[in-house]
Amino acid sequence: MIPQVPTYLLDRCGLEDSHTLDVYRANGGYAALAKVLGGMDPAEVIEELKDSGLRGRGGAGFPTGLKWSFMPDPQKDRRARYLAVNADESEPGTCKDRVLMEKDPHGLIEGILIACYAMRVPVAYVYVRGEFRHPYNRVAAAIDEARKAGLVGENVLGKGFDCEIWMHKGAGAYICGEETGLMESLEGKRGHPRPKPPFPAGHGLWGMPTTVNNVETLFNVPFIVDRGASWYRTMGTDASPGNLLVGISGHVERPGVYEIPLGTAANRILEDWAGGVLNNHKLQAWFPGGSSTGLLPASLIGLAMDHDSLKAAGSMLGTGAMIMLDETACVVRAMEVISRFYDHESCGQCSQCREGTQWLHQIFRRMENGRGRMEDIDLLESLASGMAPAKTICALADAAAIPTHAVVKHFREELEAHVKAGCCPRKTARTPETVEAGA
Amino acid sequence: MTKIIIDGVEIEADPKQPLIRACHDNGVDVPMYCYHPGLSPVGSCRICQVEVKQGEMPPRIMVACKTPVAEGMIVDTRAPKAHAARRECLEFLLKNHPLDCPICDKAGECDLQDFAFAEGQGEGRSVEPRRKLDKRKSLGDVIVLDEERCILCSRCVRFFEDVTKKPQLTVSELGSRSTISTFMDRPLQGNYQGNLADVCPVGALTLKKFRFQARVWNLEKHFSTCGECSRGCSITVEILRRREVKRIRPRYNPDVNKWWMCDVGRFAFDRFNEEERIEGAAVRDAQGRLVETGVSDALAKAADILKVHPSPAIVASPWLTVEEGEVLLALAERAGVAAAFVAPPPNDLADDLLHTGDPCPNRRGLVELGLAAISAEEALERIGAGKSAILVGERVVELLGEEALEDLPAALRLIAFVRHPVHAPATNVCIGVPTAVERTGTWINVDGGRGPIAAARPAPPNVRPLTSTLAALAELIQRQEAPA
Repeated sequence: MIPQVPTYLLDRCGLEDSHTLDVYRANGGYAALAKVLGGMDPAEVIEELKDSGLRGRGGAGFPTGLKWSFMPDPQKDRRARYLAVNADESEPGTCKDRVLMEKDPHGLIEGILIACYAMRVPVAYVYVRGEFRHPYNRVAAAIDEARKAGLVGENVLGKGFDCEIWMHKGAGAYICGEETGLMESLEGKRGHPRPKPPFPAGHGLWGMPTTVNNVETLFNVPFIVDRGASWYRTMGTDASPGNLLVGISGHVERPGVYEIPLGTAANRILEDWAGGVLNNHKLQAWFPGGSSTGLLPASLIGLAMDHDSLKAAGSMLGTGAMIMLDETACVVRAMEVISRFYDHESCGQCSQCREGTQWLHQIFRRMENGRGRMEDIDLLESLASGMAPAKTICALADAAAIPTHAVVKHFREELEAHVKAGCCPRKTARTPETVEAGA
Repeated sequence: MTKIIIDGVEIEADPKQPLIRACHDNGVDVPMYCYHPGLSPVGSCRICQVEVKQGEMPPRIMVACKTPVAEGMIVDTRAPKAHAARRECLEFLLKNHPLDCPICDKAGECDLQDFAFAEGQGEGRSVEPRRKLDKRKSLGDVIVLDEERCILCSRCVRFFEDVTKKPQLTVSELGSRSTISTFMDRPLQGNYQGNLADVCPVGALTLKKFRFQARVWNLEKHFSTCGECSRGCSITVEILRRREVKRIRPRYNPDVNKWWMCDVGRFAFDRFNEEERIEGAAVRDAQGRLVETGVSDALAKAADILKVHPSPAIVASPWLTVEEGEVLLALAERAGVAAAFVAPPPNDLADDLLHTGDPCPNRRGLVELGLAAISAEEALERIGAGKSAILVGERVVELLGEEALEDLPAALRLIAFVRHPVHAPATNVCIGVPTAVERTGTWINVDGGRGPIAAARPAPPNVRPLTSTLAALAELIQRQEAPA
């Protein structure tokens, strides 16, 4: 039985034809936009956002209102300015933005419009992951619908506010979900992240002031504007207010995307929402928010799912994509898979990341295939320390290093058992491709 | 200027330049791969990490090439943490590097080798197989790429983007599978490809012409000036065993060529290595044959000719130095005639980067001295009109055309200060001259900049400098005139 908690994010998603303008409007859609355009000052909107305490849902958890306030004053800085919407949802395990784009695209559009109004930005780009064809088509159709209804384009709702929204399809690179890589890709270049500083607010798309926000972040905005910051703070924790979309997958009874107040204990999410571990098995390990947040042991399943609690435990909330591994799974195999992912997706600019991700993958693959050495365990830790934190242009090296540190810290015995046994002691079914890759 | 402290020494730094520049300008060695002072910094190789303390914040490790200089910054390049960070970075860079230094042309001047030796660890910890890629991938007529040695610093990519402004290279594929490539594997184009071998910090991009030619530590390096156009790029002439010119490379000169030079100039050294030349002098004997003789005899013979047939037409090579031009003018004055040099028409190599299209390296210097620039046709006309003529300097025969000289009337008395014997029937005296790598002097380039040329190797023992032979001839003429 899924607990009854106050929800708002997914409320419309279950309705029939939830993606259409009519259904959206019938359920209070675009009221927030009308409220904003009807007499709120842009600075007031940003203040409301700051008061609400909304933190970015893309992974880093940066306060959204503060981010918006970094945009230069258009009176003083007359350059073009942009909003880039990060819909490149590519963190392994994550599928929350996809639900919003497919089921409630107008909610995203309204969020974009309010953000653009608050930051006085006339143009927004939605960067959609290349594989997301259906979500892309849904959002594109919704923009057309909104344009016809006078909600997008020149003179929105007749209030003299202009806002154009363009769509852009990525080509499926993980690195293009990193904000500066995304901007490079939008500009038509290779998705190579840029060194920061300069930060996007001063030097973003085509060198102009730019803010990059995640889909779910923007989706929260109309609710905050419509219902107020104090309502928003009734959910979640003081430092991380609001609800979070948690995509829970792996060995669980009811995998899916759930709306959960921030600060809810992970074991409650697992038991109450996802119905517990599959087949009543025991939990062995879990990722709290996508593969980059690292494997945590079952003993830490009581952790609260919010930014600060997980940070204190040496992990991250990330995208809130929980992945559960039961006792039949092999954590070394899991690391082999995710380190292969980072090796594959590293953009190749920074030496440590390009070579390090490959090296980590090679070591995990050897271990999984029974050719590990005892000294490899310390080597893994040492290599991860050489790659992160903050030693490279972007955080991809960190994303590969954090899970490595975590597995050495929490699952050293597993690694040692692999080395001693000369194979995977669990003898989980190996796919032909891992065997071949290791051969 | 901004005051900062680097390794305990307060210095003034240009706030527009990155921190690494301030370090290098003040003699502090910070390693670099992706950074090159002539290219836009990208901060991707991460080898230039140094410890920086700003204000009250705890010291942080930062890449010096992407860190702007800020007032009051305290930089420690030798901090243990910075050293450890660079050491880690080197281990990653070397993980897939083939370490084939013994057969690598770059060995001895390789940044990877040098910095690994200075700061790296003796042994790598990797037991993984190294990346297997193309060891010899041709990138056109000039450059060959060894993909295994490449550390993906992207300097070569940025060279075409920033310097020639015609991008030709890119990094293709992702992550550890990245390689440098051209679009559809098309060969590189243009007159500046050779610079890739200079910007490449490792042995990945090498010159086809220099491949397996010499170990760089056996090359003697001499500063000089390129003579292929009136830009006069500063160069280094590199000589193997005091004899053979093996390589010409650009030498940094902020006013002329910065770090670059064109391929025409870079590969114009084969003619210096030709064995055939006049090692001394030759004169035509009674039987009409050119026979070798001493320089003094030849000069005396020339003076005799000029006594009988005064007022020679004097035609010089545009490769004459200012110093040689002065002596030639004195000789012309003595003979009571004007001197001119052959200036070939502009070639089609001119571009907006370096090459001026004017093949005369010292046009400005010679014109300022008072030598007239004339076409080959006019020069031949002048020679044919008189009874005697003096040709001066290397490549003058080439510019006038050997066949045109053959057609000159046999009654003409031709005195040639040249490198190769001139077999035209009119030739009476040939006196050998040193080449541009065997003499010293000055060329003045198109903008009035003085380009020194230096003797990179000795001329053959009997080949005297032009300044000496021309002065000697002038003196002989004077002596003959004196009694009269």
